[in-house]
Amino acid sequence: MMKLEIHLYGRLRRFTDNPAPGKPSIINIDVPGGTTIRGALEKAGVSTEEVGTNIFLNGKYSSLDRAIDEGGRLGVFPNDMNLLYKWHFTKE
Amino acid sequence: MEKLTAKTENLPDKYKNRGGRWLTDSYVCDEVDPNCHPLGPNNKLVFAPGMVTGTKAPSSGRISVGAKSPLTGGIKEANAGTPFAEQLVLLGYSAIVVEGVPKEKGKYWQLEIDKKGVNLNEAKTGIGDVLSKAYGELFKKHGKHVGIASIGSAGEQQLAAAGVCFNDIDGRATRYAGRGGLGAVMGSKGLKYIIVDDKGAKEVEIKDKNLFNKGRQKLAKALTTHDITKKGGTLNSYGTAALINVMNEAGGLPTRNFREGRFEGAEKVSGEAIKEACEKRGGAGMTGHPCHASCIIQCSNVYPYEDGTEHVSCIEYESDWAFGPNCGIDNLDHVAELVRLSNEYGLDTIEMGGTIAVAMDGGLAEFGDGEKAIEMMKEIHKGSPLGKILASGAVTTGKTLGVTRVPACKGQNMPAYEPRAVKGIGYVYATSTMGADHTSGYTIAPEILSVGGSADPLDTDKSALARGFMDTTAFIDSTGYCLFIAFAILDIQEGFDGMVESVNGVLGTSWTGDDVARIGKEITEMERAFNKAAGFTKHDDRMPEFMKLEKLPPHNEVWNVPDSELDKVFK
Repeated sequence: MMKLEIHLYGRLRRFTDNPAPGKPSIINIDVPGGTTIRGALEKAGVSTEEVGTNIFLNGKYSSLDRAIDEGGRLGVFPNDMNLLYKWHFTKE
Repeated sequence: MEKLTAKTENLPDKYKNRGGRWLTDSYVCDEVDPNCHPLGPNNKLVFAPGMVTGTKAPSSGRISVGAKSPLTGGIKEANAGTPFAEQLVLLGYSAIVVEGVPKEKGKYWQLEIDKKGVNLNEAKTGIGDVLSKAYGELFKKHGKHVGIASIGSAGEQQLAAAGVCFNDIDGRATRYAGRGGLGAVMGSKGLKYIIVDDKGAKEVEIKDKNLFNKGRQKLAKALTTHDITKKGGTLNSYGTAALINVMNEAGGLPTRNFREGRFEGAEKVSGEAIKEACEKRGGAGMTGHPCHASCIIQCSNVYPYEDGTEHVSCIEYESDWAFGPNCGIDNLDHVAELVRLSNEYGLDTIEMGGTIAVAMDGGLAEFGDGEKAIEMMKEIHKGSPLGKILASGAVTTGKTLGVTRVPACKGQNMPAYEPRAVKGIGYVYATSTMGADHTSGYTIAPEILSVGGSADPLDTDKSALARGFMDTTAFIDSTGYCLFIAFAILDIQEGFDGMVESVNGVLGTSWTGDDVARIGKEITEMERAFNKAAGFTKHDDRMPEFMKLEKLPPHNEVWNVPDSELDKVFK
């Protein structure tokens, strides 16, 4: 199992116990190696429908389908906070 | 200014159809000796609104200011969005060229422009005052409708971090052509204010109204549908400071004078936190504020004190980062106060945040000590020796304090993107004619924001990307459009076409996308030639050494791009 610290932003913060902006809104979970980011978010109870295009696994730009090969920090922004454009970017 | 006269003349034929950065550059390159002292009699300060400024084109109210820079020693163009730009165009002016220096020191002048003509008079209001007070008195005397360009106390002292200030849509002294010390150049000329009164002015002449309308509607459609620029979109809801959390997750948010790429207090000073404070404290607080009337993106804000009264406009990403994460400060009210003081004294927030961070690195304060940072800023307005050193910028402050970690290129402090984590922007910082400047080639768009193509931020082969962005940007800076239209037009082809058509409609030209690239290239090459004549070589297109030596957490990357790669950008 790998430890994952999920940092959620914008309206995705409501899926955590500390949803107020101004401090980190975090969910800590354990996932088996090879789990995708989508799978990890579903396990954490986060609606992936609302996830936008800014997803960072350990600071690296990522897609929902990226398999997690190492635990650490996952930063996820909602789809009304897009600062990037989905159809141009080849993600890991 | 030597003879203290002002006159009008026709725009030379050779400058026909030029606006904004293209026009300020043209005057500076043709008429300024590249080896002159930036604060001496042979430098010229040029103001030029963009090609479509003053029309109904969306987000088009920008004005460029140009001169030889006292900060970099090279050519400089900085631009701002302000009603002043639109008013100047409506009165029929393509540019203002300020020449010479007055014989009498310690006195200041104001240039007044209205439909009857131009007048140069002694400025007796607001000398040495904070700018909110000075602007208030000028509006009382000349009417609330006038536009004002000015310098603050830092510009009066001719210090290299001084910017040129313009009024915003509500009459605040808050919109800056900030970078490169253009306020010091204005101060050296003894020019305190330019006051523009467009009462009774005519509409702007548009050569082909149908084409213009077609073009501006296409552009407006792109801006109002793109996720980043639309109403209720990222910029409109959270302001540019939405980037704080994004760059922090990406590990590219420069922290404590570029020691780290991630700041533990980032969320406290984020765009979300600003929005929450505006909503909770209420009163004057607002996001979605426009800097000038034609703007439909509206990314500015008004940040309130705890009791809801107005503290400052605006906390945008660069200012927020410069005084926040870069100084290790996680108190938004302290950041707001540092931005307010910059506005009041007429300073560039990026250079000053960078300078305070270098001063903290040099032991003048602890990182994170917002109160001490505020005290240091106040020294500038007092005119104390410390204040004068600080307002001379990060490089001078670093030298004075023996600091080797000075994140600057060509004498100008880097803005809010870590080049070790986002390599393409490093190419731009190193090779830009302007010194370290994110707006001269916003490769962040494809690298982090993924607009207009794709690029891996940690990949090192970015010379073509950097060059392409620098050229396109030079054209946009000449149109009078806000650079933020780039988010939409790089993604939506119709928007790009609309931008070009709107320019053609106003000017009667028949430019295509190829001409945008050609003109952009011409502009950057003109700037390179000026810098070369001023003594710049490829050895000035380099990154600071410490970035090659110090690994940046969390990616633990150094600047690993060979110098030979940087030399390819302008080959």
